[in-house]
Amino acid sequence: MQPTTIPEQQFFDDPALDRVFGVVMALATEVYVLRDRQRAIEKILANQGVIDLETLNAEPSDEERATNQLDRNEFVNHLMENLTGLQASKGLK
Amino acid sequence: MVGPPNIDARSFVAAQDFILSVKTHWTTKLYTQLDQNAPIEEIKQTVDYQFFAWLERHLQRYKYSGRYGIHHFQNQFREEIIENFSDNDLLILDKELNLPDYYTAVDIHQHPGGLWSDDIAGTVYERGARSTTPLGAATHQDLHHRLTTIATSQYKPDKILDMACGFGKSTQPFYNAFPDANVIGIDLSAPCLKLAAYVAKQNQVKNVNYHQANAEKTPFKNEEFNLITSTMLLHELPPESIKAVFAEAHRVLAPGGKMTHLDFYLVPTKFGRFIHSGHSKRNNEPFMESFIKMDIKQILENQGFKNISIEPFEESDGTLTSDYKPWRFPWTVILAEKAI
Repeated sequence: MQPTTIPEQQFFDDPALDRVFGVVMALATEVYVLRDRQRAIEKILANQGVIDLETLNAEPSDEERATNQLDRNEFVNHLMENLTGLQASKGLK
Repeated sequence: MVGPPNIDARSFVAAQDFILSVKTHWTTKLYTQLDQNAPIEEIKQTVDYQFFAWLERHLQRYKYSGRYGIHHFQNQFREEIIENFSDNDLLILDKELNLPDYYTAVDIHQHPGGLWSDDIAGTVYERGARSTTPLGAATHQDLHHRLTTIATSQYKPDKILDMACGFGKSTQPFYNAFPDANVIGIDLSAPCLKLAAYVAKQNQVKNVNYHQANAEKTPFKNEEFNLITSTMLLHELPPESIKAVFAEAHRVLAPGGKMTHLDFYLVPTKFGRFIHSGHSKRNNEPFMESFIKMDIKQILENQGFKNISIEPFEESDGTLTSDYKPWRFPWTVILAEKAI
Protein backbone atom coordinates (compact mmCIF):
# COMPACT_ATOMS: atom_id res chain seq x y z
CA MET A 1 0.00 0.00 0.00
CA GLN A 2 1.33 3.42 -0.94
CA PRO A 3 1.02 6.21 1.66
CA THR A 4 -1.51 8.93 0.91
CA THR A 5 -0.73 12.59 0.21
CA ILE A 6 -3.02 13.70 3.07
CA PRO A 7 -1.17 15.58 5.85
CA GLU A 8 -1.12 13.62 9.12
CA GLN A 9 -3.18 14.93 12.07
CA GLN A 10 -1.23 17.07 14.56
CA PHE A 11 -1.43 16.53 18.32
CA PHE A 12 1.50 18.44 19.81
CA ASP A 13 2.02 22.21 19.74
CA ASP A 14 5.15 21.67 17.66
CA PRO A 15 4.51 19.38 14.67
CA ALA A 16 8.15 18.27 14.85
CA LEU A 17 7.33 16.51 18.11
CA ASP A 18 4.55 14.58 16.38
CA ARG A 19 7.06 13.26 13.90
CA VAL A 20 9.98 12.65 16.23
CA PHE A 21 7.78 10.73 18.67
CA GLY A 22 6.84 8.52 15.74
CA VAL A 23 10.52 7.78 15.23
CA VAL A 24 10.91 7.03 18.95
CA MET A 25 8.01 4.59 18.98
CA ALA A 26 9.25 2.89 15.81
CA LEU A 27 12.66 2.43 17.45
CA ALA A 28 11.03 1.17 20.65
CA THR A 29 9.21 -1.45 18.59
CA GLU A 30 12.50 -2.54 17.01
CA VAL A 31 14.12 -2.77 20.45
CA TYR A 32 11.34 -5.00 21.69
CA VAL A 33 11.48 -7.20 18.58
CA LEU A 34 15.23 -7.63 19.07
CA ARG A 35 14.82 -8.30 22.78
CA ASP A 36 12.21 -10.95 22.05
CA ARG A 37 14.47 -12.57 19.47
CA GLN A 38 17.51 -12.52 21.74
CA ARG A 39 15.61 -14.21 24.54
CA ALA A 40 14.36 -16.85 22.10
CA ILE A 41 17.92 -17.52 20.88
CA GLU A 42 19.21 -17.73 24.45
CA LYS A 43 16.51 -20.23 25.32
CA ILE A 44 17.29 -22.42 22.33
CA LEU A 45 21.03 -22.30 23.01
CA ALA A 46 20.50 -23.08 26.70
CA ASN A 47 18.24 -26.03 25.85
CA GLN A 48 20.97 -27.36 23.56
CA GLY A 49 23.57 -26.91 26.30
CA VAL A 50 25.54 -24.34 24.29
CA ILE A 51 25.25 -21.60 26.92
CA ASP A 52 24.64 -21.52 30.64
CA LEU A 53 21.78 -19.07 31.31
CA GLU A 54 22.55 -18.86 35.00
CA THR A 55 26.07 -17.61 34.26
CA LEU A 56 24.73 -15.22 31.63
CA ASN A 57 22.16 -13.75 34.02
CA ALA A 58 24.50 -13.46 37.02
CA GLU A 59 25.64 -10.01 38.19
CA PRO A 60 28.86 -9.14 36.33
CA SER A 61 32.04 -8.95 38.35
CA ASP A 62 33.73 -5.61 39.08
CA GLU A 63 36.47 -6.69 36.72
CA GLU A 64 34.05 -7.27 33.85
CA ARG A 65 32.31 -3.97 34.48
CA ALA A 66 35.64 -2.16 34.49
CA THR A 67 36.59 -3.87 31.25
CA ASN A 68 33.37 -2.67 29.68
CA GLN A 69 33.64 0.87 30.99
CA LEU A 70 35.52 2.31 28.02
CA ASP A 71 33.00 0.90 25.59
CA ARG A 72 30.15 2.13 27.78
CA ASN A 73 31.61 5.62 27.96
CA GLU A 74 31.98 5.74 24.20
CA PHE A 75 28.38 4.63 23.80
CA VAL A 76 27.15 7.35 26.18
CA ASN A 77 29.32 9.97 24.53
CA HIS A 78 28.00 9.10 21.08
CA LEU A 79 24.46 9.40 22.43
CA MET A 80 24.84 12.61 24.44
CA GLU A 81 27.21 14.65 22.29
CA ASN A 82 24.18 15.54 20.20
CA LEU A 83 23.05 17.78 23.05
CA THR A 84 26.07 20.11 22.87
CA GLY A 85 24.66 21.94 19.90
CA LEU A 86 28.18 22.43 18.56
CA GLN A 87 29.59 21.72 15.12
CA ALA A 88 31.81 18.64 14.91
CA SER A 89 33.80 20.13 12.06
CA LYS A 90 34.42 23.77 11.36
CA GLY A 91 31.74 25.13 9.07
CA LEU A 92 29.30 27.95 8.41
CA LYS A 93 27.22 29.32 11.29
CA MET B 1 8.92 -3.68 -8.36
CA VAL B 2 10.61 -5.27 -5.39
CA GLY B 3 8.49 -5.04 -2.24
CA PRO B 4 9.68 -4.70 1.35
CA PRO B 5 11.42 -7.76 2.83
CA ASN B 6 9.30 -10.38 4.56
CA ILE B 7 8.77 -10.27 8.28
CA ASP B 8 9.06 -13.55 10.18
CA ALA B 9 6.14 -14.57 12.37
CA ARG B 10 8.04 -14.20 15.66
CA SER B 11 9.07 -10.62 14.93
CA PHE B 12 5.57 -9.74 13.74
CA VAL B 13 3.95 -11.15 16.87
CA ALA B 14 6.56 -9.48 19.13
CA ALA B 15 5.90 -6.10 17.51
CA GLN B 16 2.12 -6.51 17.66
CA ASP B 17 2.35 -7.63 21.31
CA PHE B 18 4.46 -4.58 22.05
CA ILE B 19 1.90 -2.29 20.39
CA LEU B 20 -0.90 -3.94 22.37
CA SER B 21 1.04 -3.54 25.61
CA VAL B 22 1.53 0.16 24.89
CA LYS B 23 -2.20 0.41 24.10
CA THR B 24 -3.02 -1.27 27.41
CA HIS B 25 -0.85 1.28 29.21
CA TRP B 26 -2.68 4.00 27.26
CA THR B 27 -6.05 2.50 28.31
CA THR B 28 -5.26 2.20 31.99
CA LYS B 29 -2.53 4.72 32.92
CA LEU B 30 -2.55 7.53 30.40
CA TYR B 31 -6.34 7.79 30.12
CA THR B 32 -6.82 7.89 33.87
CA GLN B 33 -4.26 10.70 34.13
CA LEU B 34 -6.62 13.02 32.21
CA ASP B 35 -8.61 15.36 34.44
CA GLN B 36 -12.19 14.46 33.53
CA ASN B 37 -13.58 17.46 35.42
CA ALA B 38 -11.47 20.13 33.72
CA PRO B 39 -12.89 22.28 30.91
CA ILE B 40 -12.37 20.61 27.53
CA GLU B 41 -10.25 23.47 26.20
CA GLU B 42 -7.91 23.07 29.18
CA ILE B 43 -7.67 19.29 28.72
CA LYS B 44 -6.69 19.78 25.09
CA GLN B 45 -3.68 21.86 26.14
CA THR B 46 -2.27 19.31 28.58
CA VAL B 47 0.75 17.23 27.63
CA ASP B 48 -1.08 14.16 28.96
CA TYR B 49 -3.88 14.64 26.46
CA GLN B 50 -1.53 15.35 23.59
CA PHE B 51 0.31 12.08 24.17
CA PHE B 52 -3.02 10.30 24.72
CA ALA B 53 -4.33 11.55 21.37
CA TRP B 54 -1.07 10.92 19.51
CA LEU B 55 -0.87 7.36 20.76
CA GLU B 56 -4.50 6.62 19.93
CA ARG B 57 -3.87 7.71 16.37
CA HIS B 58 -0.46 6.21 15.79
CA LEU B 59 -0.66 2.91 17.68
CA GLN B 60 -3.47 2.07 15.29
CA ARG B 61 -1.23 3.10 12.38
CA TYR B 62 1.62 0.87 13.57
CA LYS B 63 -0.85 -1.97 14.06
CA TYR B 64 -2.01 -1.96 10.45
CA SER B 65 0.70 -0.21 8.42
CA GLY B 66 4.44 -0.25 7.98
CA ARG B 67 7.12 -2.86 8.53
CA TYR B 68 5.38 -4.71 11.36
CA GLY B 69 1.83 -3.85 10.32
CA ILE B 70 -0.78 -6.54 9.83
CA HIS B 71 -1.19 -5.66 6.17
CA HIS B 72 2.47 -6.23 5.35
CA PHE B 73 2.57 -9.49 7.30
CA GLN B 74 -0.59 -10.94 5.76
CA ASN B 75 0.43 -9.78 2.30
CA GLN B 76 3.13 -12.48 2.36
CA PHE B 77 0.37 -15.09 2.33
CA ARG B 78 -1.74 -13.41 -0.33
CA GLU B 79 -1.82 -16.33 -2.79
CA GLU B 80 -2.68 -18.87 -0.10
CA ILE B 81 -5.45 -16.64 1.29
CA ILE B 82 -7.02 -16.11 -2.11
CA GLU B 83 -6.77 -19.84 -2.87
CA ASN B 84 -8.64 -20.63 0.36
CA PHE B 85 -11.42 -18.29 -0.65
CA SER B 86 -12.16 -19.82 -4.05
CA ASP B 87 -15.61 -21.37 -4.54
CA ASN B 88 -17.80 -21.49 -1.48
CA ASP B 89 -21.46 -22.42 -1.77
CA LEU B 90 -22.25 -20.61 1.48
CA LEU B 91 -21.46 -17.28 -0.18
CA ILE B 92 -23.36 -15.09 -2.64
CA LEU B 93 -21.45 -12.07 -3.90
CA ASP B 94 -23.05 -9.17 -5.76
CA LYS B 95 -20.61 -7.85 -8.33
CA GLU B 96 -23.08 -5.12 -9.31
CA LEU B 97 -23.37 -3.74 -5.78
CA ASN B 98 -22.54 -0.04 -5.57
CA LEU B 99 -20.51 0.64 -2.47
CA PRO B 100 -21.72 3.84 -0.75
CA ASP B 101 -19.43 6.88 -0.84
CA TYR B 102 -19.24 7.06 2.96
CA TYR B 103 -17.81 3.54 2.92
CA THR B 104 -15.05 4.17 0.40
CA ALA B 105 -14.15 7.81 1.21
CA VAL B 106 -11.89 6.95 4.15
CA ASP B 107 -9.86 3.92 5.15
CA ILE B 108 -11.96 2.93 8.12
CA HIS B 109 -10.03 2.00 11.32
CA GLN B 110 -6.87 3.18 9.48
CA HIS B 111 -7.02 -0.14 7.66
CA PRO B 112 -4.98 0.52 4.48
CA GLY B 113 -7.31 0.31 1.49
CA GLY B 114 -10.36 -0.03 3.76
CA LEU B 115 -12.27 -3.24 4.29
CA TRP B 116 -13.30 -3.62 0.69
CA SER B 117 -10.57 -2.86 -1.86
CA ASP B 118 -8.08 -5.66 -1.29
CA ASP B 119 -8.59 -9.44 -1.54
CA ILE B 120 -6.83 -9.98 1.81
CA ALA B 121 -8.75 -7.22 3.68
CA GLY B 122 -10.90 -9.74 5.58
CA THR B 123 -7.89 -11.61 6.89
CA VAL B 124 -6.16 -8.36 7.81
CA TYR B 125 -9.26 -7.15 9.64
CA GLU B 126 -9.69 -10.45 11.49
CA ARG B 127 -6.17 -10.18 12.83
CA GLY B 128 -6.70 -6.54 13.79
CA ALA B 129 -10.00 -7.20 15.54
CA ARG B 130 -8.31 -9.59 17.96
CA SER B 131 -6.94 -6.56 19.79
CA THR B 132 -9.65 -3.92 19.30
CA THR B 133 -10.23 -3.63 23.04
CA PRO B 134 -6.90 -4.08 24.84
CA LEU B 135 -8.32 -5.21 28.18
CA GLY B 136 -10.70 -7.62 26.51
CA ALA B 137 -8.30 -8.93 23.90
CA ALA B 138 -8.33 -12.47 25.24
CA THR B 139 -12.10 -12.53 25.71
CA HIS B 140 -13.35 -10.30 22.91
CA GLN B 141 -15.39 -13.20 21.56
CA ASP B 142 -17.21 -13.16 24.88
CA LEU B 143 -18.74 -9.83 23.92
CA HIS B 144 -20.55 -11.43 20.97
CA HIS B 145 -21.84 -14.25 23.14
CA ARG B 146 -23.17 -11.73 25.65
CA LEU B 147 -25.08 -10.00 22.88
CA THR B 148 -26.44 -13.30 21.58
CA THR B 149 -27.76 -14.05 25.07
CA ILE B 150 -29.47 -10.65 25.32
CA ALA B 151 -30.89 -10.80 21.80
CA THR B 152 -32.45 -14.21 22.32
CA SER B 153 -33.48 -14.03 25.95
CA GLN B 154 -36.75 -15.99 26.29
CA TYR B 155 -36.92 -16.08 22.51
CA LYS B 156 -36.03 -18.69 19.95
CA PRO B 157 -35.62 -17.20 16.47
CA ASP B 158 -35.73 -19.46 13.43
CA LYS B 159 -34.55 -16.98 10.81
CA ILE B 160 -31.85 -14.49 11.72
CA LEU B 161 -30.27 -11.67 9.74
CA ASP B 162 -26.90 -10.37 10.95
CA MET B 163 -26.36 -6.98 9.34
CA ALA B 164 -22.77 -5.89 8.64
CA CYS B 165 -21.48 -9.25 9.78
CA GLY B 166 -17.92 -8.54 8.65
CA PHE B 167 -15.83 -11.71 8.72
CA GLY B 168 -18.56 -13.51 10.67
CA LYS B 169 -17.39 -13.07 14.24
CA SER B 170 -20.77 -11.68 15.30
CA THR B 171 -22.69 -14.32 13.29
CA GLN B 172 -20.96 -17.36 14.77
CA PRO B 173 -22.58 -17.28 18.23
CA PHE B 174 -26.01 -17.14 16.55
CA TYR B 175 -25.51 -20.05 14.18
CA ASN B 176 -23.90 -22.07 16.95
CA ALA B 177 -26.57 -21.28 19.55
CA PHE B 178 -29.45 -21.99 17.15
CA PRO B 179 -28.45 -24.91 14.92
CA ASP B 180 -32.04 -25.27 13.71
CA ALA B 181 -32.30 -21.61 12.70
CA ASN B 182 -31.47 -20.27 9.27
CA VAL B 183 -28.86 -17.53 9.73
CA ILE B 184 -27.85 -15.04 7.05
CA GLY B 185 -24.99 -12.60 7.38
CA ILE B 186 -24.74 -9.58 5.07
CA ASP B 187 -21.94 -7.10 4.56
CA LEU B 188 -20.63 -4.69 1.93
CA SER B 189 -17.14 -6.20 2.04
CA ALA B 190 -16.55 -9.13 -0.30
CA PRO B 191 -13.15 -9.93 1.27
CA CYS B 192 -14.69 -10.09 4.76
CA LEU B 193 -17.59 -12.25 3.58
CA LYS B 194 -15.18 -14.64 1.89
CA LEU B 195 -13.40 -15.18 5.20
CA ALA B 196 -16.72 -15.59 7.04
CA ALA B 197 -17.88 -18.24 4.55
CA TYR B 198 -14.48 -19.96 4.60
CA VAL B 199 -14.59 -20.27 8.41
CA ALA B 200 -18.16 -21.61 8.33
CA LYS B 201 -17.22 -24.12 5.63
CA GLN B 202 -14.14 -25.27 7.54
CA ASN B 203 -16.32 -25.83 10.61
CA GLN B 204 -18.93 -27.68 8.53
CA VAL B 205 -21.65 -25.27 9.53
CA LYS B 206 -24.91 -26.05 7.75
CA ASN B 207 -27.22 -23.25 8.87
CA VAL B 208 -25.51 -20.07 7.69
CA ASN B 209 -25.21 -18.21 4.40
CA TYR B 210 -23.42 -15.00 3.62
CA HIS B 211 -24.65 -12.42 1.09
CA GLN B 212 -22.93 -9.30 -0.14
CA ALA B 213 -25.59 -6.66 0.43
CA ASN B 214 -26.18 -3.18 1.79
CA ALA B 215 -28.20 -3.19 5.03
CA GLU B 216 -30.05 -0.12 3.74
CA LYS B 217 -31.52 -2.12 0.87
CA THR B 218 -31.35 -5.89 1.16
CA PRO B 219 -32.49 -8.49 -1.40
CA PHE B 220 -34.82 -10.19 1.11
CA LYS B 221 -38.61 -10.47 1.09
CA ASN B 222 -40.95 -8.59 3.40
CA GLU B 223 -41.31 -10.11 6.87
CA GLU B 224 -38.74 -12.82 6.19
CA PHE B 225 -36.85 -12.74 9.51
CA ASN B 226 -37.79 -12.89 13.16
CA LEU B 227 -34.48 -11.60 14.51
CA ILE B 228 -32.26 -8.89 13.07
CA THR B 229 -29.00 -8.03 14.68
CA SER B 230 -25.96 -5.87 14.08
CA THR B 231 -22.72 -5.37 15.98
CA MET B 232 -20.79 -2.14 15.57
CA LEU B 233 -22.61 -1.12 12.39
CA LEU B 234 -24.58 2.02 13.22
CA HIS B 235 -21.66 4.20 14.31
CA GLU B 236 -20.09 3.82 10.87
CA LEU B 237 -23.15 5.25 9.10
CA PRO B 238 -24.30 8.79 8.32
CA PRO B 239 -27.68 9.61 9.93
CA GLU B 240 -29.76 9.10 6.79
CA SER B 241 -28.28 5.63 6.32
CA ILE B 242 -29.04 4.72 9.94
CA LYS B 243 -32.69 5.63 9.37
CA ALA B 244 -32.67 3.61 6.15
CA VAL B 245 -31.23 0.58 7.95
CA PHE B 246 -33.98 0.73 10.58
CA ALA B 247 -36.62 1.09 7.87
CA GLU B 248 -35.21 -1.89 6.00
CA ALA B 249 -35.09 -3.92 9.20
CA HIS B 250 -38.74 -3.07 9.79
CA ARG B 251 -39.62 -4.20 6.28
CA VAL B 252 -37.92 -7.60 6.48
CA LEU B 253 -38.94 -8.35 10.08
CA ALA B 254 -42.00 -10.48 10.66
CA PRO B 255 -44.64 -8.99 12.97
CA GLY B 256 -43.45 -9.56 16.54
CA GLY B 257 -39.89 -9.97 15.31
CA LYS B 258 -37.02 -8.50 17.31
CA MET B 259 -34.13 -6.25 16.45
CA THR B 260 -30.88 -5.89 18.41
CA HIS B 261 -28.03 -3.50 17.68
CA LEU B 262 -24.84 -3.42 19.73
CA ASP B 263 -23.05 -0.13 19.26
CA PHE B 264 -21.47 2.96 20.81
CA TYR B 265 -24.33 5.30 21.64
CA LEU B 266 -24.96 6.34 25.25
CA VAL B 267 -22.26 8.86 26.18
CA PRO B 268 -23.62 10.75 29.18
CA THR B 269 -20.72 13.06 30.07
CA LYS B 270 -19.15 16.02 28.30
CA PHE B 271 -15.71 14.49 28.84
CA GLY B 272 -16.94 11.18 27.39
CA ARG B 273 -18.28 12.93 24.29
CA PHE B 274 -14.99 14.79 23.87
CA ILE B 275 -12.99 11.54 24.02
CA HIS B 276 -15.48 9.78 21.74
CA SER B 277 -15.43 12.47 19.09
CA GLY B 278 -11.62 12.49 19.22
CA HIS B 279 -11.59 8.74 18.69
CA SER B 280 -13.91 9.19 15.71
CA LYS B 281 -11.44 11.46 13.95
CA ARG B 282 -8.31 9.63 15.03
CA ASN B 283 -9.59 6.20 14.02
CA ASN B 284 -11.05 7.27 10.65
CA GLU B 285 -14.66 6.67 11.67
CA PRO B 286 -16.28 10.02 10.85
CA PHE B 287 -19.90 9.32 11.84
CA MET B 288 -19.49 8.32 15.48
CA GLU B 289 -20.29 11.82 16.66
CA SER B 290 -23.42 12.34 14.54
CA PHE B 291 -24.75 8.95 15.66
CA ILE B 292 -24.63 9.73 19.39
CA LYS B 293 -26.53 12.98 18.73
CA MET B 294 -29.45 11.21 17.07
CA ASP B 295 -32.67 10.54 18.97
CA ILE B 296 -32.74 6.84 18.17
CA LYS B 297 -35.73 6.05 20.40
CA GLN B 298 -37.86 8.65 18.62
CA ILE B 299 -36.76 7.47 15.20
CA LEU B 300 -37.62 3.86 16.03
CA GLU B 301 -41.01 4.87 17.41
CA ASN B 302 -41.73 6.86 14.25
CA GLN B 303 -40.92 3.80 12.17
CA GLY B 304 -43.39 1.64 14.07
CA PHE B 305 -41.12 -0.24 16.47
CA LYS B 306 -42.38 -1.12 19.95
CA ASN B 307 -40.82 -2.12 23.30
CA ILE B 308 -37.75 -0.03 22.58
CA SER B 309 -34.93 -0.33 25.08
CA ILE B 310 -31.58 1.48 24.92
CA GLU B 311 -29.24 0.47 27.74
CA PRO B 312 -25.52 0.41 28.56
CA PHE B 313 -23.92 -2.92 27.69
CA GLU B 314 -21.47 -4.68 30.01
CA GLU B 315 -18.90 -5.98 27.51
CA SER B 316 -17.00 -7.79 30.24
CA ASP B 317 -17.57 -8.24 33.96
CA GLY B 318 -17.44 -5.07 36.05
CA THR B 319 -17.09 -2.49 33.28
CA LEU B 320 -20.31 -0.70 34.23
CA THR B 321 -19.41 -0.23 37.89
CA SER B 322 -18.56 3.28 39.08
CA ASP B 323 -15.08 2.25 40.18
CA TYR B 324 -14.11 1.01 36.71
CA LYS B 325 -11.70 3.69 35.47
CA PRO B 326 -9.89 2.54 32.29
CA TRP B 327 -10.86 3.80 28.83
CA ARG B 328 -13.66 1.83 27.19
CA PHE B 329 -16.09 2.20 24.34
CA PRO B 330 -19.57 3.45 25.33
CA TRP B 331 -21.12 0.07 24.57
CA THR B 332 -24.90 0.27 24.23
CA VAL B 333 -27.49 -2.29 23.27
CA ILE B 334 -30.55 -1.13 21.36
CA LEU B 335 -33.54 -3.49 21.40
CA ALA B 336 -36.85 -3.07 19.60
CA GLU B 337 -39.72 -5.14 18.27
CA LYS B 338 -41.95 -4.89 15.25
CA ALA B 339 -45.55 -4.56 16.32
CA ILE B 340 -47.81 -7.57 15.78
